[in-house]
Amino acid sequence: MAALVAVIGGSAGATLLRRAWADRLRERVGLIVSGWAVLAGTVLLDAAWVGRVKGSALAVAGIGVAALIVMFQGRTVRAARAGRSASLAPEPLEGPSKAWRGWLKALLAGPLGMTAAMGIAFCYATWAPGDPRTRIIIGGLLMPIAWALAMTWTLADQRLLRSLAVLLGTTVAGFTLAAMRGLV
Amino acid sequence: MKTIGKQDAPRGWPLSPATVRAVLSGHGILGLAFAAIIYLVCLTGTLAVFAHDIARWEQPDAPSITAFAPGALDRAVRSAQESGPAHATLYVSLPSLEEPEASIIAYTPALHREWAPDRNGTLTERRTPIADFLVDLHVALHLPRAWGGFIVGLTGVALLSSLMSGILAHPRIFKDAFHLRRGGTRRVQEADLHNRLGIWALPFHVAIALTGALLGLSTLIVGVLAMLLYRGDTAKVYGLFTEAPPAINAVAAPLPPLEPMLAEARRRGGSATPHQLIIERAGRTDARLTVSSERDRLLVPQDTTIFDVKGNVVKDRHPADLVLGTRMLGGIGQLHFGWFGGLPVRLLYGLLGLALCIVTSRGVTIWLARRRDRGRAVPLWERLWAGIAWGQPLALALVGVTGLAAPAHDGLLIWIWMAATAGSLTIAGAAKGFDASNGAVRVRRLVAASTLALALVYVITRPIGLSGIAMELALLIGAGLLFRHPATKPRREGHAAA
Repeated sequence: MAALVAVIGGSAGATLLRRAWADRLRERVGLIVSGWAVLAGTVLLDAAWVGRVKGSALAVAGIGVAALIVMFQGRTVRAARAGRSASLAPEPLEGPSKAWRGWLKALLAGPLGMTAAMGIAFCYATWAPGDPRTRIIIGGLLMPIAWALAMTWTLADQRLLRSLAVLLGTTVAGFTLAAMRGLV
Repeated sequence: MKTIGKQDAPRGWPLSPATVRAVLSGHGILGLAFAAIIYLVCLTGTLAVFAHDIARWEQPDAPSITAFAPGALDRAVRSAQESGPAHATLYVSLPSLEEPEASIIAYTPALHREWAPDRNGTLTERRTPIADFLVDLHVALHLPRAWGGFIVGLTGVALLSSLMSGILAHPRIFKDAFHLRRGGTRRVQEADLHNRLGIWALPFHVAIALTGALLGLSTLIVGVLAMLLYRGDTAKVYGLFTEAPPAINAVAAPLPPLEPMLAEARRRGGSATPHQLIIERAGRTDARLTVSSERDRLLVPQDTTIFDVKGNVVKDRHPADLVLGTRMLGGIGQLHFGWFGGLPVRLLYGLLGLALCIVTSRGVTIWLARRRDRGRAVPLWERLWAGIAWGQPLALALVGVTGLAAPAHDGLLIWIWMAATAGSLTIAGAAKGFDASNGAVRVRRLVAASTLALALVYVITRPIGLSGIAMELALLIGAGLLFRHPATKPRREGHAAA
């Protein structure tokens, strides 16, 4: 039943948002606020009904599926034309690139990003307040997030030396601070 | 009233157009570098959500029970203790109305065996090679756990990063959240599907990528943390989350009767119902028996009652006694696999997992289409990607057929999968006459035919029960959808959003 509520609430919220965003000329603030409110209300309802974590996770999945159904129902089918719309979308930066820059970027996004993320995670695990077990788990969750952010940043940033300095500095500082403090 | 130009970023968008292009470039590089492995992990993950259903399907003669007869649990555990490897820890999953089956796993790091007991405690060996293969491929790619886990964890990080850069690189991602165009140019069509599936399933995909990355990288994180703080002693880090083992006393001692212990755990747990029994050092005086009980509103069991070999309560813990970190640790796996909340949750997870497979696959197709539009087509990569995108479902279907036909030869499955993967890539790479769009239709039909073959082999080799019928129907529907041409019938020509 809770899954059904999530799908129904998700459909209602997504329908309101679709109507709001279908109007390309006006900001339909009322519909947008209502749409998000219905989605948030669905999460809260399921969380209250079947449990905070269990209900929220279930609602997020249900809303996702419902919104996809609403989207597919409203799809537009058009004849094939030359790429007018494609040309209006953002295009990636392209151009000749040197091999060493590619290797350095891979190094920055991979191993160095990982060690910097570990530095942040261990720093949190050792210095943050609270029970050590909670700090380790939250630190553990921070690690992939920080690594993913480092990947995103280093692959987009053309100033490789800056990225290198920041990641190296974060690694050294994070590991040093964590080793100084220990798990108290 | 404000008219927004197509190329303008919406008000408040944090990135300049140049940065958006740079982020999009990074999104493309990362996506291409990890596309194949993200796709494989997502595809197997989508199937792993249904691992228990698949296990029931491939072994329909495994007993289905909702409760043990009096004394049957003790008989079942004694049999497992005698039949399993020496010094094994026994994990007993108790049956319930919601999960009508019991299982006993006798585990040692070197070897483990699993049985499904019936209502009277008689054991049937569990033989579920297909479900085991899928879960192991998803979790560790059938590599040694530390290496495989790291690669899968790295894949989770790459996916998380792709999701972040995907959002940052699309300033109109919310405004266009329902803007799905079909039938136009291939690239626009693919881009719309990629972006729309990506945005509406985003919270789910972020949660899956994050929990998956943490699960995969946990061995590395613990190892480095231990090196930093405990001179490499990982047991000290793990020890923070586990009960210290009882003092060694290897003198032989029989296990106490189990049912009174479950009754005691039930009495102490209030609304919690015993869900699992873990027996360590069975047959010795220092044996420890842990009963975990679950509550309806919690993601994982958080009530634990620990008994000694005489059946005395040694420790009793309930949700209020647990710190946040311990509660989170227990929930990460359940949240990742969707093994909570029953079939409705598994179906929702399955659909969103499928969406992630499509997002990944279409991401590569967009890059290929962009190259083609600019007169720099890469036909070899187009063919190879078709070989991966359709070759993997085909390989998994062949694994399924082999697992059904020869369940005792589970070691064969990895070779079948590797041969099918290598074969599909070689054939796709060598087939120079292969046209990406027409060829894909043919390969899709091949996948549909292999799905039908899977359903057919099942009918030939297994008695059809309720779970068998449900899975057969799912296979037939899947094959039917694959045989069908993509829908191109107009629904709303000239819609306002177009």
